Amino acid sequence: MRLRFSAGLLGLLFLLTACETIPDRPRIAYTGDPVIDGRAELQAAQPKDRVLWNYRIAASALRRNQPDEARVQLDTAIPLIGGILANSADARKARGLFSGEDSKTFIGEPYERVMAYYYRAILYWMEGQPDNARACYRTGQLIDSDAEANAYKSDYILLDYLDGFVSTKLAADGEDALARAQKNARGGALPPYDPNANLIVFAEYGQGPRKYGGGEFGEQLRFITTQSRSTHARLTLGSQVILLPTFDDLNYQATTRGGRVMDYILGRKAVFKSTTNTIGDVALTGAAIAASNARHYNGGTNRDAANAAMVLGAIGLISKITSAATTPKADTRAWDNLPQRLSFAAAQVAPGDYPAKVEFFDKDGTLLHARTKSFSVTVKPDGDTVIFVSELSR
Amino acid sequence: MNSTSRFLLATCSLGSALIFSGCVSDGVRNPSGVPVTEMKADERGFVAGTGVESQDLVAVTDKMARSIIGIPEIAQASATPRIVIEPVVNNTRFPINKDIFLTRIRTQLNEKAMGKVRFVDREIMKTLERERDLKRSGQVTASADPHVVEFRGADYFLTGKLDGMTTRTSAGTSDYVLYSFRLVDARTSEIVWESSAEIKKQGLEDAAYR
Repeated sequence: MRLRFSAGLLGLLFLLTACETIPDRPRIAYTGDPVIDGRAELQAAQPKDRVLWNYRIAASALRRNQPDEARVQLDTAIPLIGGILANSADARKARGLFSGEDSKTFIGEPYERVMAYYYRAILYWMEGQPDNARACYRTGQLIDSDAEANAYKSDYILLDYLDGFVSTKLAADGEDALARAQKNARGGALPPYDPNANLIVFAEYGQGPRKYGGGEFGEQLRFITTQSRSTHARLTLGSQVILLPTFDDLNYQATTRGGRVMDYILGRKAVFKSTTNTIGDVALTGAAIAASNARHYNGGTNRDAANAAMVLGAIGLISKITSAATTPKADTRAWDNLPQRLSFAAAQVAPGDYPAKVEFFDKDGTLLHARTKSFSVTVKPDGDTVIFVSELSR
Repeated sequence: MNSTSRFLLATCSLGSALIFSGCVSDGVRNPSGVPVTEMKADERGFVAGTGVESQDLVAVTDKMARSIIGIPEIAQASATPRIVIEPVVNNTRFPINKDIFLTRIRTQLNEKAMGKVRFVDREIMKTLERERDLKRSGQVTASADPHVVEFRGADYFLTGKLDGMTTRTSAGTSDYVLYSFRLVDARTSEIVWESSAEIKKQGLEDAAYR
């Protein structure tokens, strides 16, 4: 009888090991260029992970002044993240007991989706379509309305501020949006709109949030946040100095969302995993006790105890296997090259070519020399000149 | 083998079968892909959102084109009116290709208005001016006197606006979009025609994304 059990257990383990099949992944020859390497990763990625690579490549491309590449990547991702993902087989699988949350097609947490729209808005503005940029700000703010607590719903300062600024530039009323931005700024004074500003500066600094799975089984989505040393920046354009204060903090946005519906599902999966594991422990312990009583001292067999041992053993084994197969793990795939802080400034600058320098400062106002970046800016004679500077560019 | 053992064997087999059935996967959904499905532009596809989609574009622009043909300023004009298209203003939360609405209205009118209306192409104005200058300088031939101004001015401007309203709650997302287009007399600034179409959509995403 023991032999049958051992053989059965061995067979199960063998078969379960065989189930761990991973699709062949092409070997990637890394070049050190985040855009080229990102494209190679995108090619090799499973369909469910492709948006993640679209995001990462877009951020890298924008920082390397490759707006066309960033546009292509974001225009691939946005139709998916902007739609209604319903009746999706992989989402259904992610909700199931035996698959982790990362089996669903990645679109990211709200702060990640917001950033996809935020970056696309910069590109729209560069293309001379500020109204489409404003559409992105509005959708971004709507995505952030998912936060659990009212105080954190749609609380990006910059999205409302820029919504109002674009409206003002388009001769519409931007006051409501400015008032919302001012409310979210919680006392911090926002610069008044200058509809004649022709130089639009977007800046970012610091490293954004990372994800990890907390809880007993990694079922709780948690964030690792580190405070960037850079807290504000300054752009020098010829003799003109433009201050770039922090408007929004992605660490704050990521950690103030609160509970998700999916957290509830993962929590139930974790309870199921724990319960089946406990049942398995109890049943296997019972089986061991029953097995120890299966033989009489006189050498005879206690048939009832032997049968009980078999039944409890089978229940224990199945419970243990079910527990092991239950996957409550939260999705920790993350857009890992996001910044921590977002900044913006607008100014009136005469058309022409300028040497430019952006300097970053810590909270005490100390210049962080190593982070200074120098470049040149050409201010167009017509329309807005949009520039993007990132501490993370390389 | 007694009945208890048979029962145990059956239970183990069933349990194993259940577990293995969950394992029959190579980690890729639709490994052979999904064949391309050709759809009509006015048909709702299986990839959908609450935003502006091709079926909305077709429905709205068809309605606008039909409406413009029927107005007296076009249908009963003594001379063929010339229209210049001005970009649509997007006030919704959906980034869109704004030119596509007016392009479709223009092509619909050019196809169906039987010459009752003409559009003036200002998109290639720089190219046209360069060509005229080449003719004026004698670098290329001309079939008419290039010094005579023949570029047409606009009798009317056709433009539009997209406005939106969004509601998002735990029950889902609802988006209302108002598409309005107008024809403005270039001489008097009067709006000689205006029409609108409205589309509302709502949906709720899978719990895995909430």
